[in-house]
Order: sequence, then structure tokens, then C-alpha cells
Amino acid sequence: MMYIIVLAFYLLFTIWSSVKSLKNTESISDFTTGGHRMGLLLGIGTTTATWVSVASVLGVPGYLYSSGVAAIIGWVAGWCLGGALIPLVAYKIRRPETPVRTFPEFIHLRYEPYKQNSPLRMIVGILMTIGYFLLVHIQVVGFGIVFETITGIDYKIAIFAFLIFLLFTSIGGFWSVAATDTLNTVLIVIGVVLGSGAVLAATGGLQNIVDTLSTTTAPTIAGGPPLEQGILLSPLGTFSLSALISIFISNSLGSPASPHWVTRMLAPKNIKVAILQIMGTIGVLLFIMGPLIILGLGAKALLPSLPAGKTTDYIVPLIIQDYAPPLVGAMTLVALCAAAVSTANSMLLTAGTTLYYDVYLGIFSKKVSDKDFNKRLRLIIFVLGFLAVISAIKPPWFLAMGFVYVYGGFGAAFFLAVFLGLYWKRMNAAGAYAGILIGSVGYVVSKAMGASNPFLIAAGISLIGVILAVYTTKKPPIEAYEPYFEEKVSKSTDRVLSSVINRSEGA
Amino acid sequence: MVTALLIWLGTMIFSFVLGTYLCMRIEKSGVKRWGATGKIFKYK
Repeated sequence: MMYIIVLAFYLLFTIWSSVKSLKNTESISDFTTGGHRMGLLLGIGTTTATWVSVASVLGVPGYLYSSGVAAIIGWVAGWCLGGALIPLVAYKIRRPETPVRTFPEFIHLRYEPYKQNSPLRMIVGILMTIGYFLLVHIQVVGFGIVFETITGIDYKIAIFAFLIFLLFTSIGGFWSVAATDTLNTVLIVIGVVLGSGAVLAATGGLQNIVDTLSTTTAPTIAGGPPLEQGILLSPLGTFSLSALISIFISNSLGSPASPHWVTRMLAPKNIKVAILQIMGTIGVLLFIMGPLIILGLGAKALLPSLPAGKTTDYIVPLIIQDYAPPLVGAMTLVALCAAAVSTANSMLLTAGTTLYYDVYLGIFSKKVSDKDFNKRLRLIIFVLGFLAVISAIKPPWFLAMGFVYVYGGFGAAFFLAVFLGLYWKRMNAAGAYAGILIGSVGYVVSKAMGASNPFLIAAGISLIGVILAVYTTKKPPIEAYEPYFEEKVSKSTDRVLSSVINRSEGA
Repeated sequence: MVTALLIWLGTMIFSFVLGTYLCMRIEKSGVKRWGATGKIFKYK
């Protein structure tokens, strides 16, 4: 009962903040990036909440439980390094006086500024829509697992309940997402700290957890093969060295080139606020990841093996249900739900915006008013959210590993196009086509062939492709790179910028 | 376990060092639109 009451309060707040934000949304820029005027505190709130997804709150403790402290290197440190690199994107992408509004728009301006409809922009838009749809799907699955385990309500009903949260927080656009995210960050911190406190109390403290991990051989799933003694405390855990490197690199190099992080760097007031926002977020994450590590490792001491038929994604809800007092359990439940909602709404907004603004309006070359834009985008968000819930009825993936695949794919496809585009004047459209196409296809093919490090293989061959393409084709026009290298741009660059940015406005 | 925690700590330190360096570069540029305020961690 306590769970339902706390969750009902959370739902009410979500609806209230969403309705309030609807009134603040006026222009296309407001809807997509908050009009490039977000302050530091709200920025830290929304960045932290977007960062902490179900892959963090369920997947990471799950891997800590099954593979040991190696999960700290693969996911926690991997994401942290990825976060550390995001300011390098902010430092350049926010230089123009009129910043772009979406990631594909940046690709358009940087590589095909003279084309009114950029094919590369559409390719990027389609790849992004697929990737973000999968990430929203993962959040839906995570929410369903938490809700079903703790409340006993059927998983299929739970995921449709999630649709309500998702739609309310997404249809208000960027400000709705940012407002609910900031509350979600507070709830996540409180929930995981209380949850880890309950686990510490139940296990008798950190030393007992470490002692158990050093001696246990209990299989992860009841009836499975026993673990090697001490393996859970070794840096590699149950992973091979190449598998752990692959996870670390996918998470670290995939994050800064992931379009939603690039888009997030367009929302703050200026470059410095964007950089401080990431530094602040990494500080706040200490208070989330630390408790999650205790939850994952402590779970092994409390429940040596999972019941047959359950995946490691279930470990946190199972432990909370059995060992936390009702109020603590309810707060942790809300934290887990908040993590799913706050990541899913950002990604749904990104997927919807990309599909409508960058792909649809690009193909049909239409001009729309701000009012029509917002209305149609809300409809697309609703349809994508609904499809994500339908697709989650039979989930195929482990949550944290699903994130690795998508982040790895984003990194392989976009890393060179983003970083070389921002830091190398000679990078041109041919190089971007080569990097994005070879990187994305290379990643999928090497993954399908069972390569242990598909990201490195794809990034390696796409780098060769980029260098060959760049040096065998013409230099880019000054209008393509000037905004990211100079404080003041020439009149011709200014004209090109305005023409692309305003291509869909003014009906 | 210590190795894993040290790698995490290392990435955090790297983040703060890189962020500070970039803020210094913004101050050195003096461009207000980019966030230059005269003090490295002060923002408007």
C-alpha cells in the first residue's frame, strides 16, 4: 500500500510539472533545446537524471552481482570517462551565435551547409531514431521489472502504466523533461542511499560484504555453474580482458558522441555553464553510483543465487522487497521508476524530434509554424512511446548490455563525425559519409560475427575510410567549419547558417 | 576491488581537470557569449 501511495504522489507531480511546462513551450527551439537558456542547477538535475537510467539502477547492480567489481570498471568508470569527454563537445558546438537545435542539424551545417535538404542529415536521423527507440524500449522493460517485482502487478500492465509517465513528461517538450528530471535526480539520490543503507544494515556492514565476495562460490542463478572463489573481487571478474575493454570503450567513447548528449550541450546558456553542468553531474553521480555498488555487491551476501527463471536485472527489486522497511522500499521503488522515466522521456523527445524535424520535414521540405510543429511532434512522441511499450512485452536483452550495444553503435557511427568535425578544419562531407556509414555497418557486422570488440573494429576501419575520403576529395568550404573555430563568422557563413536553421520555419 | 575503484576515481579526476582547463580557455578567450566572466568558475 505504501508503495502505491508514494508512487501516486510521484505521478501527480509529474502531471503537474508537465501541464505547467506546456504553457512555457512556444517555439521550436523551446521544445527541442529549451531555447538555449538553461541554467546550471536545472542543467545538473536533468543531466544526472538522464544519465542514470534503468541500465544504471538495475543493470549495473545486476552485473556487480554476477560478475563482481569488474562492472565498476566497465560501466561506472566507462560512463564517467565518457562524461569527462562531453565538455570537449560543448566547448566547440556552442560557439556559434545561433546554435543548432538538433544533432542532425549540426551534421547538416558542418558537412552539407549548401544543401537545403541534406541526405547525410536524414541518414543520421534514421540511425538515431532506431537507436533511441531501442533505448526507450530498455527503460520500459526496466520499469516493468521493478513494478512487477515490488507491487506484484503484472509486468504487461506495469509497462502500460509507464506509458502514462512517459507521455506526460515528454509532450511538454524540453522544459517538461528538465523540470521532472530535476525532481527525479533528488528522488534517485534519496532512494538509492536509503536502499543501500538497508542493504548495509541487513549484511552487517561493508566488511561482511567483502568477506562474502572473497569466499563465495554460489552460482548466479540457482542450479547454474559455481563461481570461482574470489573472482567477484578481481578486476576482470567473470569477463575476459577483451570483453571488459570492449564494454569500457563502448561506454566511454560512445557516450560523448551519442546525439542526446550532444543535444544536451546545446541547451545551457553558454559553453561554461555546459562544462560546469557536466562537472557537477559527475560529482552528484558519486552519491548514486556509490550506493548502487553497495546494492549490487551486498545483494550477493544476502541472496547468494537468484531463483531460476529470473535474470540479474531483478536483483535490486528482489533485495529491496525482502530487506528494506516499507517506506524505504517505496522510496527506492520511486527512485528506480524515476530513473526509467527520466531517461526514457529525454530519449523519446530526441527520437520524436529527429524523426519529425530532421527526417520528415527534410524529405517533404515543408515549412511549419511553431504551433503545428509542437502539435505534430507530440503526436509522433505518443506513437513512438506506444510502440516502445508494445515492443517491451517480450524483452530480449539484459538492460545494461542493451545500453552497451546502442552506445557502442552510436560511438562507432558518430564519434569521428563529431570530434573530427569540431576539431579538424579539413574534415569534410566525404569523410563524414565514410565515418558514419562504415562505422555503423562495421559495428553491426562485427557484432553479428561475434567479434569480442566490435566498437574498436568498426572505429578502426571507419578511421581509415575517413582519412582516405578526406584526402581524396576537396577541402570543405569555410562556411562549414568557421562557426566552430572563430568567434566572429563571415557574412557568407552567417547567411548559410540562417538559411539552414530557418529552413523549416515560417509557415 | 581497489583497482576498480581507483580507475573510477581516475576518470573523475580527469573529468575535473579537463573541465577546469576548458573553463580556463574560455576565460582566456574573453568572449562573453561563451561564458567568460573574469573568474574561472563564475558563470552568468
